[in-house]
Amino acid sequence: MVFIRQPIVELPDQDPERIFSDDELVFTGEEKELIGRFQKQYPTPEGAVMKALWLAQEKFGFLPPEVIRLTADELGIPYSLAYGVATFYTQYYKEKMGRYVLDVCTCFSCQMCGGYDMLHLLEKKLGIHEGETTDDGLFSIQEVECLGACGTAPMLQVTNGPYVHNLTEDKLDGLIESLRAGKMPPFVSVTLPQDEDEMDGNRRTDAEAVEVYQTPPRGLAME
Amino acid sequence: MQPSNGAGTTKAGDWRNYKRVLLPPIRDLHQLAVYEKNGGYTALRSVLTDSKWDPKKVTDEVKASGLRGRGGAGFSTGMKWSFMPPVEPDKPRYLACNGDESEPGTFKDRQLMEYNPHLVFEGILIAAYAMSISTTYLYIRGEYADWIKHMEHELEKIYARGFVGKNIMKTDFSTEIVIHKGAGAYICGEETSLLESVEGKRAYPRIKPPFPAQKGLWARPTTVNNVESLACAPLIVNRGSEWFARLGPAKHPGPVLYGISGHVNRPGVYEYPTGMLITDLIDHVAGGMRGGKKLKALVPGGASVPVLRADMIEGVTMDAESLREAGSMMGTAGMLILDEDTDMVKFLRRVTHFYHHETCGQCTPCREGTGWLENLVTRIDDGEGNLRDLDLLLDLCDQMEGRTVCALADGAAWPVRNTIKRFRDEFEAKCRKSIFAAGVVA
Amino acid sequence: MPQVTIDNKVFDVEGQPKLLQFCLDVGVELPHFCYHPAMSIPANCRQCLVQIGTPVKDRETGEIKRDDNGDPIIQYFPKLMTSCSVDVSDGMVVKTHRSSDVVDRAQKDNLEFLLINHPLDCPICDQAGHCPLQIQSYKYGSEGSRFEFRKVHKPKKVMLGPRVMLDAERCINCTRCTRFTDEISKSHQLTIIERGVRNYPLTPPGVVFDEPYSMNVIDICPVGALTSVDFRFRARIWEMSSTPSITVTNAKGSNCEYWVRDNLVLRITPRQNRKVNEYWLPDEDRTAYHMFNENRPDGPQVRREGKLMRVGWQDAYRAAADRLNGVDRSKVLFLGSAHATVEDNYLLKQLAEAIGADVPVYIPHVEPGKADEWLVTDDRTPNANGCERLGIHPVDEALIRSKLEGGEIEAVYVMEDDPIGSGLFSEDELRDIPVILHPYHTTNETLAVADVALPAAMVVETVGTYVNVDGRAQRVRPAKAIQGVNRTLMMEMGASRQDKHGTPFDRWHNESNRIDCLPSWQVLPEIAESLGLALPKGSPKQLMRQIAETVDGFEGATYDAMGLSGVQLVEVGEIA
Repeated sequence: MVFIRQPIVELPDQDPERIFSDDELVFTGEEKELIGRFQKQYPTPEGAVMKALWLAQEKFGFLPPEVIRLTADELGIPYSLAYGVATFYTQYYKEKMGRYVLDVCTCFSCQMCGGYDMLHLLEKKLGIHEGETTDDGLFSIQEVECLGACGTAPMLQVTNGPYVHNLTEDKLDGLIESLRAGKMPPFVSVTLPQDEDEMDGNRRTDAEAVEVYQTPPRGLAME
Repeated sequence: MQPSNGAGTTKAGDWRNYKRVLLPPIRDLHQLAVYEKNGGYTALRSVLTDSKWDPKKVTDEVKASGLRGRGGAGFSTGMKWSFMPPVEPDKPRYLACNGDESEPGTFKDRQLMEYNPHLVFEGILIAAYAMSISTTYLYIRGEYADWIKHMEHELEKIYARGFVGKNIMKTDFSTEIVIHKGAGAYICGEETSLLESVEGKRAYPRIKPPFPAQKGLWARPTTVNNVESLACAPLIVNRGSEWFARLGPAKHPGPVLYGISGHVNRPGVYEYPTGMLITDLIDHVAGGMRGGKKLKALVPGGASVPVLRADMIEGVTMDAESLREAGSMMGTAGMLILDEDTDMVKFLRRVTHFYHHETCGQCTPCREGTGWLENLVTRIDDGEGNLRDLDLLLDLCDQMEGRTVCALADGAAWPVRNTIKRFRDEFEAKCRKSIFAAGVVA
Repeated sequence: MPQVTIDNKVFDVEGQPKLLQFCLDVGVELPHFCYHPAMSIPANCRQCLVQIGTPVKDRETGEIKRDDNGDPIIQYFPKLMTSCSVDVSDGMVVKTHRSSDVVDRAQKDNLEFLLINHPLDCPICDQAGHCPLQIQSYKYGSEGSRFEFRKVHKPKKVMLGPRVMLDAERCINCTRCTRFTDEISKSHQLTIIERGVRNYPLTPPGVVFDEPYSMNVIDICPVGALTSVDFRFRARIWEMSSTPSITVTNAKGSNCEYWVRDNLVLRITPRQNRKVNEYWLPDEDRTAYHMFNENRPDGPQVRREGKLMRVGWQDAYRAAADRLNGVDRSKVLFLGSAHATVEDNYLLKQLAEAIGADVPVYIPHVEPGKADEWLVTDDRTPNANGCERLGIHPVDEALIRSKLEGGEIEAVYVMEDDPIGSGLFSEDELRDIPVILHPYHTTNETLAVADVALPAAMVVETVGTYVNVDGRAQRVRPAKAIQGVNRTLMMEMGASRQDKHGTPFDRWHNESNRIDCLPSWQVLPEIAESLGLALPKGSPKQLMRQIAETVDGFEGATYDAMGLSGVQLVEVGEIA
């Protein structure tokens, strides 16, 4: 069980190849209007950079340098500023990930409750190591820090979206199967133990209707 | 399982009959209609329309209640509000609500935002009134994407209802709320780092002084409060500061959300007054130790606070003073319970990895030190460590603590120092014998 | 007057300085990396930690509480504070490493942290010898290292731009470079990328770090992370001598230092002058050093039988005098130069007067549109202002050409310029009349028609005064030795040069790369003498004193007054 990655930091490609064509690398009028609305929420143009990068990631699937530059131009801020911000945070994907990114929490509580076991099971089932993507481009596995769901450890998150709580091997199998079929896991409202006692279960009647956050795969977003 | 032998008394009063206020057992309380029907937004209304309230009175009431920040530092919320300078007309002032719940072991804000978002909003609005805030930035960590959508949905509703925006409830008080989505950085939970992140820059913490109340967002006066701390404000307005101050121990009162996780039968978020006996929480609230195992250690407030051994929790209650005496801290009340099979070295290794991954890299001791700590603990865990490494680790903790821009280095040093001190035999067992004494290099 | 006590010594404080800046000003050395007086203060290197205490004031009365001895009771801050971010206040008590073990420990520990991932590159790093990290580790660091793991590896040879090379492993993340591009040059071409120990500065992909002030980050980088592509591996810092002078690529007169080894100028770095260029130099000034080393002439030449022949100086003087005697002296055109010093131009003017010719004129070299609002001017010469003040005005091209065609010009005396190269005349026009030239380079196009060529010393080889576009008079010192013996130049070079040159009996002594040229202020009096006239023969210093006393517009411009940072001259309107 080796945690420490070889401490080698690679140089990002200084002259990256274009991934998106000129037709694809634009924001639609709607998107521009949305970015404009974001900018109005902050007194300076830079304030909206994080929201704009999320929008760009939702549209393009990940954030190659050309998309970051496009976003910076749209906001009217220096490209270096947007690039520095994008590389600072872990949730902005700088490279193309699999269609479904499985972020398995292995920190603190999840470590103590079998998070690593789940991670290794997942690695075995999908045949890849943590940090890699399957050959068919469907799944990426990442080991992440605390996701804030320690009461339902071990758990994972799918592509910056829904949480899958209380993992077991069967649950993992079910998850992989439904993801292969293109179905995202549903939103689960974690019932408070005190609600369990006082209200006979979850207090929400509308939890099933919740649509989970999705980052559409590239092809779909473009259509 | 350690049955409480009655050596300590709970300071949480008659907690078994405690009626929840932060997460009251009301179905669909998150929906605006249900919230209003159950007395929601009356606190805001009275604060805005009743002549007995003015901004200073609200602040004094919160101060009198004794509410201490629920985000980890435990600083008096009312006093923090009173640090805001006098209002300058036509110049904006900001409130940042810290929902970047990334401290390992902490998951209470997520539950609060899901089940009682309007309590949070009402708390923000009351705070905005008390400090004459122009805009509140509600910073929620990016991983909570589904809950951000949920909060945005509910925010839209109260905008439509006229509870936020211009001329709230037809008074001349106006304030805005913006939900800002994070993108995966623990450091953004630090208040000045949060401010940098909202400003759209790399989230490096700022040096203090100047403090956020003097120069915060865009150099304007800003206060940063935790989600749960602000959620207590409507309760204080509705029920009075004396009610609040009587709940739990005098120096650290009020309802608090305990996030119990680890090797217990019923992990989850529990709402009780502060001052609960730790043994009560483990045995009676969380259903006792899983599989009937014995308790070995527990971390009472999230990864940054020192770990407590099972023999150190006798009579210790979950409030700032008692925990400090016992050798730990209240933190976020995110408790991790560890049973007798836990390998403390592996536990510490993952904790150091967490800090190494999450350091922002701005200042030298933290950027380099966290990696070095991880390397050392990993080496010990892999059986390649030397005894002198333990002394080196303790040395490094002293070198990192108190020398950095923000407290992440402190948060990285405390677990290392205290886990090694309190479980030294486990660490020594994994070390190889060394012929060199520690600290060879002057 | 507010007072502050540092290590039990009391200092008077003026103004509201930061503690670190104040300490540096009064001579109390404190180690630091990320602090730079011209930029914002991030306090992220944590090296300048000190223990600070302030006197306790009674809450109600505001009076300072005192102990039994009458001394103020000092309350120390619980944590060590970074001196770069703290304002000095009255009564502050500061303990540095000299009087506090805790502070000493803190500084040692911080250096230990800096060095754990820093590569052991000193043998191959350009910064060695003038590296604050090296110096401070030696002075304040601990012996040896306790780090026994693999260091973090980052990209090592990254061309950020055409002139700047990045070695990311050496970077200590002080953020001086990114702050420079954000706050000073505002080009926003650099940012720190990634997070944590993986941090290092980089241009965003697709951007080249080619802004016109890019090389300044090389100077401010406290380690060898940012180095000059041009200068990389050329010389060690202790092999070179550095001489304070000014740059001559444009009219700003930015203060610089010329670094010379074996009489070759190897690089140019900025010198601090708050009134001119602060701490910065444009890249065009730095890359101009080649012109001092390359294409330099091989001594004086005289045209005999249509070809230029190498002669001695005395022969050259006589030849020049002969040429001038053979024409109507009042019809000699004297061309001064905005490249030359005030003293040179002054002597030329005196010579013209003595001969009875018209007042000299100079060829302006202005490229409109080149100026930015900072250190680059349209004017590509360093002394146009100086010429103007002497009464030497830009040449009226139309007038001169008509004079030439009308036979009004019978000889041309060109000092340190190139009339054919700048298009004033063509070769055919000058071929038949005597041309006496003081060239810098063999590439001077007027050499094709010159009858006598007397190579001139360039700014690095001479002593003189230049007046910049803002009217500041600054003097230069010689950095590069010429072949001949000139007492003034040798004295000015001073001790800092001697040990680099060695005596003729030292093994490393080097006669190479000395150009056989002379400053014009030495040549012109000799020419005058050959003509039977007398020009002042004093040193440039005496000459300048004379100019300061007699010529309006140069009042106060003596060498003593100019010193290292120059003297601001009064604004003059139209000079007659």
